[in-house]
Amino acid sequence: MNRISDLARHKTFVASALVALIFLFGGLRGAAAQDQVAPATKSTTATASKPSSASTGKTSTKKAGKSGAKPAAEEPVGSPNKGVGFPSAPIVMEVYSDYMCPQCRNFYMGTLKAMMNDYVPAGKVYLIHRDFPLPIAQHKYNWDAARWGTAAARIGRFEEVDRALYDNEPTWEADGNIQKIVAATLSPADFRRVQKMVAPCLSQTPPELRPTVPTGAACSLDTFIQQDIALGKQVPVQSTPTYVITNKGSRIPPGSGFVSWPLLKQFLDSLGQ
Amino acid sequence: MSDEARAKFGRILLLVGRIALAAIFLAAAYAKLKPQGAMPWSVASVRTSLAMFAMQVDSYQLLPEEHVNFVAHTLPPFELLLGLWLLSGIGLRYSSLITTLLLGGFFSAMVRTYSKGLEVSCGCFGPGEQLGAKTLVRDGSLLALSLAVMIGAFLLRRKADDASAPASLPATQRAD
Repeated sequence: MNRISDLARHKTFVASALVALIFLFGGLRGAAAQDQVAPATKSTTATASKPSSASTGKTSTKKAGKSGAKPAAEEPVGSPNKGVGFPSAPIVMEVYSDYMCPQCRNFYMGTLKAMMNDYVPAGKVYLIHRDFPLPIAQHKYNWDAARWGTAAARIGRFEEVDRALYDNEPTWEADGNIQKIVAATLSPADFRRVQKMVAPCLSQTPPELRPTVPTGAACSLDTFIQQDIALGKQVPVQSTPTYVITNKGSRIPPGSGFVSWPLLKQFLDSLGQ
Repeated sequence: MSDEARAKFGRILLLVGRIALAAIFLAAAYAKLKPQGAMPWSVASVRTSLAMFAMQVDSYQLLPEEHVNFVAHTLPPFELLLGLWLLSGIGLRYSSLITTLLLGGFFSAMVRTYSKGLEVSCGCFGPGEQLGAKTLVRDGSLLALSLAVMIGAFLLRRKADDASAPASLPATQRAD
């Protein structure tokens, strides 16, 4: 009888050990999988819940300022983020423009500003600025303006500088003094960071106007502008402003020229239906 | 070439011109109404296409917003009807006259916009086409074709009237 009871106890022990092992193994696998998923989920949430560009820049600068961990001037700079709004928005609108093209300014002042006050903060549209400085002799400072915008985008302050460039275009168009406009827009620390990036570029002739001169080595900003131009050529952009709208991943044929906000809004609303 | 052969050749040219114009108008209407991107055919997708066309009309900066919407929403169905009317050949003088007036309107709007230096989407055959010298030459050629068809249609009608005139004259005049 004893033997039988020992065997039964033994069997119970083995069975419970097996169950424990299975749970342990399953738990370990689950934890490992969660570890792998967690960073991706976190980053997705971060991009979805935080508007990109200027506001992100503001947050990081404020945090750095308060904690005093790093002075703003030494913060590393990344790729330029010229997007405004929530990257998770169902509609993405890319606008190829030249800061010295009158139509682009009209489009920005009359239409995009209204959209940035309404549909962009509401998470309906994610607006991306793409530089497309036209090789026109009269547009003397379009590359410089694009460089200031790109430098500001690299520290997350694109939206303010972009707005200032368009708002004050008649002023800097006359003398090319974009620096004054940007200095008035950014904090002194941010301005120094941007100025540091732009300084080696300002003396250079735009590569499009002088293709025989090797450029790009000293001015890293031009590389980003040329990336935008290359993207534009794929569209293909034939004039500015040209807008490319992508609705839930499906790209709509590009449009160009000025469009009033009520009509653009009507189109965006029709996409949402 | 005899008169009869010449008349036959004229009628063939008129037929070809009429069918070409009809095909162009049907293609233009289709391009404006068809769904954009990967959207399926539905009332909503046609509405989106018309809203897209409204933006193209607006970029010409010719009309106030409410007129832009009216033109953008009525023009593609009108082009479709006009294409079918031209294809049918019924009342060709009138259909070709309307076509000529319409193409004349398009052409003058395009010339005005181009001369003002506005760089816009043509909107002629749906989105994505830039207004430029090429589109001006093309629309100018279409206008010339339409004009030729209209003149041909009126001439043909006059000839037909002339041919039937003696028979319809009063008996006293016929005797003369």
